[in-house]
Amino acid sequence: MNEERLVEALTIHTEELIGQPKDSSPLALTKEERGQLAPLFQLAEQLHQYMYPVQPSADFVRSLGQELTDNARRQVALSRRLRRAVLIGAAALGSLLSIASVVGAIVFVIVRLRTRSRPVEASVS
Amino acid sequence: MPGESDSVLIARAKEEPEAFGLLYERYVDRIYNYVYYRVGNHQDAEDLTARTFYRALKHIARYQDRGAPFEAYLYRIAHNLVANWYRDNERRQFSSYDQVTVSAPERDEPAAVAEMKDERETMLQAIRRLPPERQQLIVLKFVEKMSNADIAQVMERTEGAIKSLYYRTLAELRGELVREHVVGRTDDE
Repeated sequence: MNEERLVEALTIHTEELIGQPKDSSPLALTKEERGQLAPLFQLAEQLHQYMYPVQPSADFVRSLGQELTDNARRQVALSRRLRRAVLIGAAALGSLLSIASVVGAIVFVIVRLRTRSRPVEASVS
Repeated sequence: MPGESDSVLIARAKEEPEAFGLLYERYVDRIYNYVYYRVGNHQDAEDLTARTFYRALKHIARYQDRGAPFEAYLYRIAHNLVANWYRDNERRQFSSYDQVTVSAPERDEPAAVAEMKDERETMLQAIRRLPPERQQLIVLKFVEKMSNADIAQVMERTEGAIKSLYYRTLAELRGELVREHVVGRTDDE
């Protein structure tokens, strides 16, 4: 017996049961295949009957929704603050680097000037 | 706006808290149903549903759309939380499902209703003895009425693999129920 055919037949049966019929036409099953699938068809029908959707309580849905929105608000505010802090930190770091480089440049120039002037002084003396 | 796609709402939710609220409203019933049928009582279903959405909210800023629906992402979070719940409650005995409002198809005879209630209870408990991924498949198919293609996205498998798993799951469940004497053996078995 071809298991693929059984799988396909069970799939088609269940999809029809739950309201999602496929375009494919039902398979022509042999007597043996029908015998093997009958209890599974029956079980699928029972599952369809017993597994119906349940409703969460309206209070629960409302209060959780409110909590989540409040939490989301806090999360968004926190991430904005964090982004601002990172931005300010980066700007401060950038400014510090700029100041340090200007100071460095000034020191460099002074040192260069001093080292150039020394040999002249030495030759005069 | 209720007609906005999930992708638009997710992008907005990174900056606007109300957008996450809309995603929540869109999926809360489905996630609750999924969790309820996995754990069997409303109290834990509420707790795990809340945790699912809190976790989604926590990670929404880093969420990347990789083509799978947002719903699949939520089901995966719920599935992992249910798995942890099972692990934490390993030694806890399973009590009956809270909600057992079963209507008898023809007449509301108390005996018929009671019989259906028992049958449903036994079936749901047999489902809970299946391996987690098989329970997941049954719930997604019969409660959420999802197509094999959608289930494949949630379970990160191919559609063909889902079909085969479904066949094996029903066969296993039937074996379980035959042992419980809920359904009779057929001549072919």
